[in-house]
Amino acid sequence: MRIFGLNRRIVRALLGSQYAHMLEYRAEIALWALSGVLPFIMLSLWSGSDARAQLGLDGVALDRYFLSAFLVRQFSVVWMVYAFEEDALLGRLSPYLLQPLHPLWRYVASHLGEQLTRLPFAAGIAGVFFLIQPQAFWIPSLGGFLLAWIATWMAFAIAFLLQSLIASLCFWSEKATALERLLFLPFLFFSGLLAPLTAFPPAVQDWVRWTPFPYLIDFPARVLSGDAVNLAAGFGAQLAWVLLLLPLVLLLWRAGVRRYSAMGA
Amino acid sequence: MITVERLSKTYRVADKQPGLAGTLRHFLRRRQRDVFAVRDVSFEIAPGEMVGFLGANGAGKTTTLKMLCGLIYPSSGQVLVAGHQPQRRHPDFLRRITLVMGQKQQLIWDLPPMDSLRVNAAVYGIPDRVASRRIAELSDLLELGEELTRPVRKLSLGQRMKAELLAALLHEPEVLFLDEPTLGLDVNAQMRVRQFLADYNRRTGATVLLTSHYMADITALCPRVLLIHQGQLFHDGALDRLASRLAPERHVRLELKEPAPAEAFTGLGRLDSLENCEVNLRVEPSSLTRVLAEVLERFEVRDLEVNDPPIDQLIGELFRQGSL
Amino acid sequence: MGRYWRTLRRFWGTALATQLEYQLNVVVELLAVVLSLGGSLLLLSLFFGPGRELGGWNWNQALIVQGFYTVFDGMTTAWLRPNLGAIVTYVREGTLDFVLLKPIDSQFWVSLRTFAPAGLSEVVLGLGLAGWGAHQSGVVLTPPLLVAVLLMLMVAAVILYSLWFLIAATSIWFVKTWNATEVLRAVLASGRYPLEAYPASLRLLFTLVVPVAFLTTVPAEVLLGRASLPLLALGFVLAGGFFAAARGFWLFALRHYTSASS
Repeated sequence: MRIFGLNRRIVRALLGSQYAHMLEYRAEIALWALSGVLPFIMLSLWSGSDARAQLGLDGVALDRYFLSAFLVRQFSVVWMVYAFEEDALLGRLSPYLLQPLHPLWRYVASHLGEQLTRLPFAAGIAGVFFLIQPQAFWIPSLGGFLLAWIATWMAFAIAFLLQSLIASLCFWSEKATALERLLFLPFLFFSGLLAPLTAFPPAVQDWVRWTPFPYLIDFPARVLSGDAVNLAAGFGAQLAWVLLLLPLVLLLWRAGVRRYSAMGA
Repeated sequence: MITVERLSKTYRVADKQPGLAGTLRHFLRRRQRDVFAVRDVSFEIAPGEMVGFLGANGAGKTTTLKMLCGLIYPSSGQVLVAGHQPQRRHPDFLRRITLVMGQKQQLIWDLPPMDSLRVNAAVYGIPDRVASRRIAELSDLLELGEELTRPVRKLSLGQRMKAELLAALLHEPEVLFLDEPTLGLDVNAQMRVRQFLADYNRRTGATVLLTSHYMADITALCPRVLLIHQGQLFHDGALDRLASRLAPERHVRLELKEPAPAEAFTGLGRLDSLENCEVNLRVEPSSLTRVLAEVLERFEVRDLEVNDPPIDQLIGELFRQGSL
Repeated sequence: MGRYWRTLRRFWGTALATQLEYQLNVVVELLAVVLSLGGSLLLLSLFFGPGRELGGWNWNQALIVQGFYTVFDGMTTAWLRPNLGAIVTYVREGTLDFVLLKPIDSQFWVSLRTFAPAGLSEVVLGLGLAGWGAHQSGVVLTPPLLVAVLLMLMVAAVILYSLWFLIAATSIWFVKTWNATEVLRAVLASGRYPLEAYPASLRLLFTLVVPVAFLTTVPAEVLLGRASLPLLALGFVLAGGFFAAARGFWLFALRHYTSASS
């Protein structure tokens, strides 16, 4: 039986091959993990700052928030648009389009394979963090952990769909990846990676809540760190963004493929 | 112009088995071994010579070529090109040589070749006036016109290769190293590149060392060939002598008036095929006249042909089998 | 020397022409520069408020640091990333061979082959921001002060270049860790804020190991007229040392490349 064109055998083959593929790039992935240290730099800055009081994160809560932000980022990084651009440039896309499997699944699988490869490195960095800040150590409850896991994967799904949207535009303009830069900037500043959402003035907070960005880092990080957070509102917003983006991506993708094949590529 | 004496190069290589298990094993415990890429190769090339350089993939062709341009340090032995030791890459040496690689390009992808040519002119310190004159001459020979002002990405493979040649020859090098310059080109484009190289060699007296998978390139351009096999020099000399070394037997084709059984040909060389009246024999050159005389005596022959085996077929077989 | 100048002009002329082939990119890059600076200022403002300081630096002084960071981020975008990031491509595609066969210094070639104009706009914006911050802080820019600041910015540029180059050149061995410079970039992002805002252990790290301090905080202190002489001397020593190390490492890397490549 196939669900969205997938059955068990396809899933197992895809994940297995992509994991093996990603293991070949373990050194590169380790460095990507290490290049995600920005939350820790921001933590050291916020810890010593007079402005800390307005964050509403006392004591170890701040440490836990930024560590969680680091972990959420590690497992929701999306680089789909770059992989897609390379595939299109090198002509690997055409054979993918001929296969009876939506090419987007291939990219989903390679991201999951990459996350699995990244796991030991991210855990190692978290371990070093706890060695330096032992008082911040905590073990989330099983329920809290599962919720955080789901929230992180939802964040991954939103980020993935956003990039797929840009990737679909590559069917029209070969340099559409430049748009990814424009998407990354609001993400960087408003997702909660550099400052918890509560650091921003109320007016900015109210406005940012209507964008997908705080649900990519801030919300899952708060769930993971055990902060008091409105679960229904957070998951509701994540689900709403997925449901909004998914049909958009599928439509745009189909139109793009039609255009691509019409041009005889 | 080029002197090579007992040149050798060894590499360390790591083995890896395919698959996940192989990956993990490779990660945990690397197995390494030393491999000779080139072993004890010696030859000399005189100024103005055009020499073909043959060998199967991995035979050591590219390694030798790179040692001659100074891109790879020899493990042992001596190389002298245009009076220089290549591995020092002295600017004076670099100004006198050029390297063209069929599968790699130095032209800027997004810009017309002219921009790359202007960069090269500056790098080699060629005054603009001189550069323009040379570009005009070379593009005339190469039959390049408005292609020089069109972005490289919009050129066909053949046009791109010709532009690559122009860029590589702008500084009038005396020694040309060409690694598969006709790779992937269609027959027409191959012929034009070939013709250009012959012209260039005649006009400038440049020394050319050429590798190619297309025997037509070699037969058309190179009176002398070097064949390298498993890192060692197997042949140095004329192409037809190589053919007789590789396959000393002659091919004799007979058309008989009446069919004959296979046993009738015992003592007449090796029977390749027998189909009704058509017979193919392979005969040692020394016994050729005796065999022909006996054949004419024993059978009624309608037609007779004696041939050398075609060289490209021989070399092709050699490359496919990877052994001699 | 004249040949190098002429080559450099040709290099950047072709780089500019390449960029202009993709007009949309130019617009997007410029927009990204403005948005990025806006976001950085918003983030910086979060640390400030009535009577609040960041590590003893007030808002206007912190703007100078942010301005110098923008300058060097621009330098990274304009020169370091497009050039040094391409070393791995040269190695992977084997086109480093072409570079090595040119009668011109190969480090010169790989370091200055191209540039991204968008980074230039960042440099200009950053200088403007630092100037504004200095003006608001009541700095009077005398010629000796200007010379001192420019000198420190040069020292900073040499340090930044050498650090990038040292890491990027390792891709001659390790093609698969081509992204090591991304780790450096992440650490360098700490230069957005004054050194004094960090805990003591990090301050030591940012002064001696990865000398981020010399990129932004020290030039800002020179501009504010409160830098100590030994610190400046240390900057010069570090710049000289790092540059020599980068040069030596490149020659060593090439020796490896030419004895190991196939």
